[in-house]
Amino acid sequence: MNAIFNNKFATLFTVLGALLVLVAPQYLKNYGIYLLTYWLIFIIATMGLNLTIGYAGQKSLGHAAFFGIGAYTVAIMMKAGISFWLGLPAAALLCFAIGLILGFPALRVQTIYLAFATLGFNTAVWLVMRNEEWLTGGTFGINNIARPVIFGYSLEANRPYYYFVLAVTLVLAGLLWGLLRSPWGKAFKALRDNPIRAESLGVDIRNYTLLSFAIGAVYAGVAGALFASLVQFIEPAPFAVGASIMMYLMVVVGGAGYFLGPVIGAAVGVVLPEWLRDVPGVANWYLPLFGAAVVLLMIWLPDGLLSIPDRIKAKRAARAASAARTAAASRIGASS
Amino acid sequence: MNKRFALKLIAACAIAASATAGFAQEVIKIANIVELSGGGASAGTNFKNGVELAVKEINAAGGILGKKIQTTTNDTQSNPGVAKGLTQKAIDNDVFAIFGPVFSGSIMVSMAESRRAEVPNFTGGEAAGITEQGNPYVFRTSFTQASAMPKVARYISEQAKLKTIAIIYVNNDFGKGGLDALKKALANSPTKVVAEVSTDSGQVDFSAAVLKAKQSNADGVFAYSNEEESARILRELKKQGWTKPIIGETTLTGQKVIELAGDAANGAIAHVGLTVDAPQPAIRAFRAKFEKEYKYVSDHNGMKGYSGIYILKAAIEKTGKLDRKAVAATLHTLKVKAADQPGVLMDVSFDAKGDLDRESFMIEVKNGKQEVVSILPALGAGAAPAAAAAKK
Repeated sequence: MNAIFNNKFATLFTVLGALLVLVAPQYLKNYGIYLLTYWLIFIIATMGLNLTIGYAGQKSLGHAAFFGIGAYTVAIMMKAGISFWLGLPAAALLCFAIGLILGFPALRVQTIYLAFATLGFNTAVWLVMRNEEWLTGGTFGINNIARPVIFGYSLEANRPYYYFVLAVTLVLAGLLWGLLRSPWGKAFKALRDNPIRAESLGVDIRNYTLLSFAIGAVYAGVAGALFASLVQFIEPAPFAVGASIMMYLMVVVGGAGYFLGPVIGAAVGVVLPEWLRDVPGVANWYLPLFGAAVVLLMIWLPDGLLSIPDRIKAKRAARAASAARTAAASRIGASS
Repeated sequence: MNKRFALKLIAACAIAASATAGFAQEVIKIANIVELSGGGASAGTNFKNGVELAVKEINAAGGILGKKIQTTTNDTQSNPGVAKGLTQKAIDNDVFAIFGPVFSGSIMVSMAESRRAEVPNFTGGEAAGITEQGNPYVFRTSFTQASAMPKVARYISEQAKLKTIAIIYVNNDFGKGGLDALKKALANSPTKVVAEVSTDSGQVDFSAAVLKAKQSNADGVFAYSNEEESARILRELKKQGWTKPIIGETTLTGQKVIELAGDAANGAIAHVGLTVDAPQPAIRAFRAKFEKEYKYVSDHNGMKGYSGIYILKAAIEKTGKLDRKAVAATLHTLKVKAADQPGVLMDVSFDAKGDLDRESFMIEVKNGKQEVVSILPALGAGAAPAAAAAKK
C-alpha cells in the first residue's frame, strides 16, 4: 500500500513540477523567468554536488570553484570570439580534468579534513580569478557576455534562454539518473556506505573517488557556463567559499542522496529568499528569517526536506510493528 | 483535474500581477535597488534614506506635476546577479526611474536592463567605466573617479607637496578603479608612488597593510577603501604611531567612518564631492532634516540619493510630462541651480554621457568633525582650480 501511495505522490509531484517549469514562464514577467532560470542553474550545480556528497560520500566545500571555472572559461572564450557551443564543452572538460586532480587529496583524507582541503582549493581558484587581471578582468569582472545563438535563433531574450537552460537541466538530470542506476551508481553508493567493504567486493575505490569529484565538477562547470550567460557579467565574488557553503547547504536541505534533493534545495536557497522579500511585514527581515528557517530545518530534518516521506513511512512502519507487538503480546498473554 | 486547477491558479496570479500595473498613471513609481546587506550595506542604506527623505518632502509639497511618488526598496545583498534580477523586477512593475545600485559592479550589470527598457537609472557608483559605455539612461549622483582623482592628485603634489606616497586600497572594482585613476593623475607630477598595498573588502586586520606603508618610508599615505574598512585603517595608522599626512577621497572622512574611527580620524584629509558639513545653506538644511528623520548624520551617499530625486524632479518638470525617454533626453545637458531647486543642494550640470559636474571640497577631520578647508570649483567652471582653492 505504501508503494501505491508513493507512486501516486511521485506522479502528482512530477506532473505539477512539469506544469510549473513548462507552463509557468508563459505567465511570468522577466523577473520571474530570470529567477526560475537562476534556480535551474543551481539545480544543475547542486546535482553534481549531490553526486559527490550524497551518493559518493565525499565532503566537498570547493564546488563554487568549478562553478567559477565553468563561468570564466565560457566568458573568456566568448570574449576571444569563440562560440558558446565550443566554450560549453571546453568548460565541462576543464572541470572534469581539474575535478580529477582535486579528487587526489580525497584518497588521503576524509570527512572534515577533506572539506578543508577543498575549501583551500576554492580559495586558491578565487584568488586567481581576482588577481590575474590580464585573464579574468580581476575585480572589474567580465561584462557584456553574450547569450548563445542556436541554429540561427537567438536566445538573447529571457524566455528562450530559460527553455534552453531547462532543456540542458533535463538532459543532465537524465544522464545522472542513468548513471545512478548503472553499476557506477551502485559503486558510488557502496563507496559512501562502507569503503572497505566496497573494496573487498572489487570496487576500485581510487577510481570511483576521483570520478565522483570529476563528474560533480562537470555539472558545476556547465552550470557556471550557463550562469555567465544568464547574468552576462561575472566577477570573482559569486565563486568564493561562501557560495560553496551555500551549495552544500542546498544539497543538505533538499536531502543529500535523494535524486530530487537539488530541486528542492536550490528552491530553498534561491527562490525562498526572493519570495520572502515580497511577503508583507518580513521584507526588512528576509535574510534573518531565511537563516532561522534553515536552522529550524536542520534541527527537525537533518536529512533534508525529501526525507519527510521516508520519515512518515518509518513512523508508520514503527506504529504497525508496535501494534503487531502489542497484539502478539496480548495473544501470548491470552494463551498462557 | 489537477492540470485545470493549476492553470486556473496561474491565470489568477497573472491577472493579479497585471492588475497592479494599472496604477502606473496615478503615481510615479520609483525603485530603490540598493545594498542593504553584504559589503555595501552602509552606503546603500544611506542612499536609500536620502531617496526616501526627498520623496517624503516632495509628496508633502504636492508631488511632481501633481502626482505623488511611490517608492519600493529591494536589497541586492551586494551581489550583481541579484541586482540584475531586481532591476528586471522593477521594470516588470513599470517603474518610472530606478535609483541604485550604489556599488559599481552591480550597476554595470543592472544598467543593461534599464537601458533595454529605457528607464532612467541613477547610480551612486563612482567607477569611470559606468558612463563610458554610451548608455543614454544612466546618470550619476556623484563624481567619477576619473574627475575626482585629478583633484586629489593636484592636492597631494601641489598643496601638500609630498615627494613620495604609499597607497592602501581595497581590491575590488571601486578600489582598483581609484588606484588606477590616481596613479594616472600622479604620473606627470613630482610625487612618486612608493608602495601599493592591496587589502580585501571586509578585511578586519590592517596591521600588515599599515606596516608595509610605514616601511616604504613615504611622506604620506593615501587610503582608499569602503566605509568600515577605512575606519579600521585609520585606527591602525594611529595605533602604529603614524604622524605623516593621511589623504583620501570621500569615503575616508565619511560620517560613518569618523564615528567608527573616533580619535583616529582626526587629521585625515580628503577630497569629497559632497559633504554635509559644507557651508552651503541648502546642505545645512539637508543635514538638519536628515538627522531629525533618521537620528544620525548622513554621509555622502545620503546626499547622493536625496539630490538625485530632486534632479529627477527638475528634469520631469522641465520636460513637462511623464515620459521616460523625454526625461532622459532632458537630463543630458541639464543644468539645475540650487537657488531654484534647493533639493539639488548645489548647482549641478550634466554632460552628454550622464556625468555630473559641480563644486567639490577638500576637508579635514578636526575634533571628530569634518571641516571644509577649501572649495574646489566645478570642472566646467573655467577658473583654475588651484587659484580658487584659496576661496573659503
